[in-house]
Amino acid sequence: MADLLPPLMAAQVDAKTKVDEKVDYSNLPSPVPYEELHREAFMSLKADNFEGLRFDFTKALNQKFSLSHSVMMGPTEVPSQSAETIKIPTAHYEFGANYFEPKLMLIGRVMTDGRLNARLKADLTDKLIVKANAQITNEPHLSHAMFNFDYMGSDYRAQLQLGNSALIGATYIQSVTNRLSLGGEVFWAGVPRKSGIGYAARYESDKMVATAQVASTGAVVMNYVQKISEKVSLATDFMFNYFSRDVTASVGYDYILRQARVRGKIDSNGVASALLEERLSMGLNFLLSAELDHKKKDYKFGFGLTVG
Amino acid sequence: MAPKRIGVGGGDSSILAKIANSSIVSQGRNAACDAVYVSKKLLKSTGKAAWIAGTTLLILVVPLVIEMDREQLLNEMEFQQTSLLGTPPPAGGMPMY
Repeated sequence: MADLLPPLMAAQVDAKTKVDEKVDYSNLPSPVPYEELHREAFMSLKADNFEGLRFDFTKALNQKFSLSHSVMMGPTEVPSQSAETIKIPTAHYEFGANYFEPKLMLIGRVMTDGRLNARLKADLTDKLIVKANAQITNEPHLSHAMFNFDYMGSDYRAQLQLGNSALIGATYIQSVTNRLSLGGEVFWAGVPRKSGIGYAARYESDKMVATAQVASTGAVVMNYVQKISEKVSLATDFMFNYFSRDVTASVGYDYILRQARVRGKIDSNGVASALLEERLSMGLNFLLSAELDHKKKDYKFGFGLTVG
Repeated sequence: MAPKRIGVGGGDSSILAKIANSSIVSQGRNAACDAVYVSKKLLKSTGKAAWIAGTTLLILVVPLVIEMDREQLLNEMEFQQTSLLGTPPPAGGMPMY
């Protein structure tokens, strides 16, 4: 599996890291889960920019149980045949309930347009975690459910995924040294009869994380995050699809200050976006989001408030 | 005199028309037209670039600068508070942000 990966890890090793202690191969740390491989990069590069008003209110009734109310108003894009995107102003209210326990987590959300979303995460044993995710809508054939079974070994993780329209997937990731972990995934979708295979690698140190992922659907994703200080990190990302020849590169930053968090990103498609979360007082956060698409001349701005 | 004047007023063989149609002058005229065209395009594209750079900097840099200033103000006030209350500034116990 390792010889099929592009040899790009060597160029990204930070030259100033301290000399590694002798690697103890029998005691390697557990790797990050396969779906969180790009976690650091996506924190700054895939911030959730929104358009319109967003208001979230979370009220904890108990130490374990909390309710949430959320209002979202703004234009949403409707996919259309013509080149122009059509935006329709929508508004909806979402009610949710969360139950958190050390070994069990239940989350449910229901929206005014009739959608119900439920998530479950349970630690069956010390090493086996089961996760389930279901979404039920009014429209026929749009509901779906997915079950994941994660097994965590001493220095590896394996996951099995089952979806409702005959979707089966499996991922496996293994720590090779203290810093390098390699993984692969395989999936088979029943409805469009497709199967795919992919590989991933992740190299991390105290100050940087570099990951790469290749999939047989033609997508190649590589990203690099450098942690400049406790507060600041910079990330860059390169995605290309070797079938459709789409290339995108982006650079972003993430500043975590005591009273605010600013995330900004600029893209090779001519998109610049920023998200600012400011803590007005205890439990009260003010959000401002902006996204400028210079190529399509599409500008989106949003503001929101999060309580609790 | 009169025929000469009539000759100056019209006809291809007059001196001014000859000068105006000579190759050097026509080349100069073409070059001037090109220069005007290029400079118009340059002005337009500079304007476009300035707009794109300006708006992008406005959303990427300005909030960051504002927040960093606030953080610095907060640090200064905290430092003042600690020095006012008489406690020595923390050396390594409290994480200095």
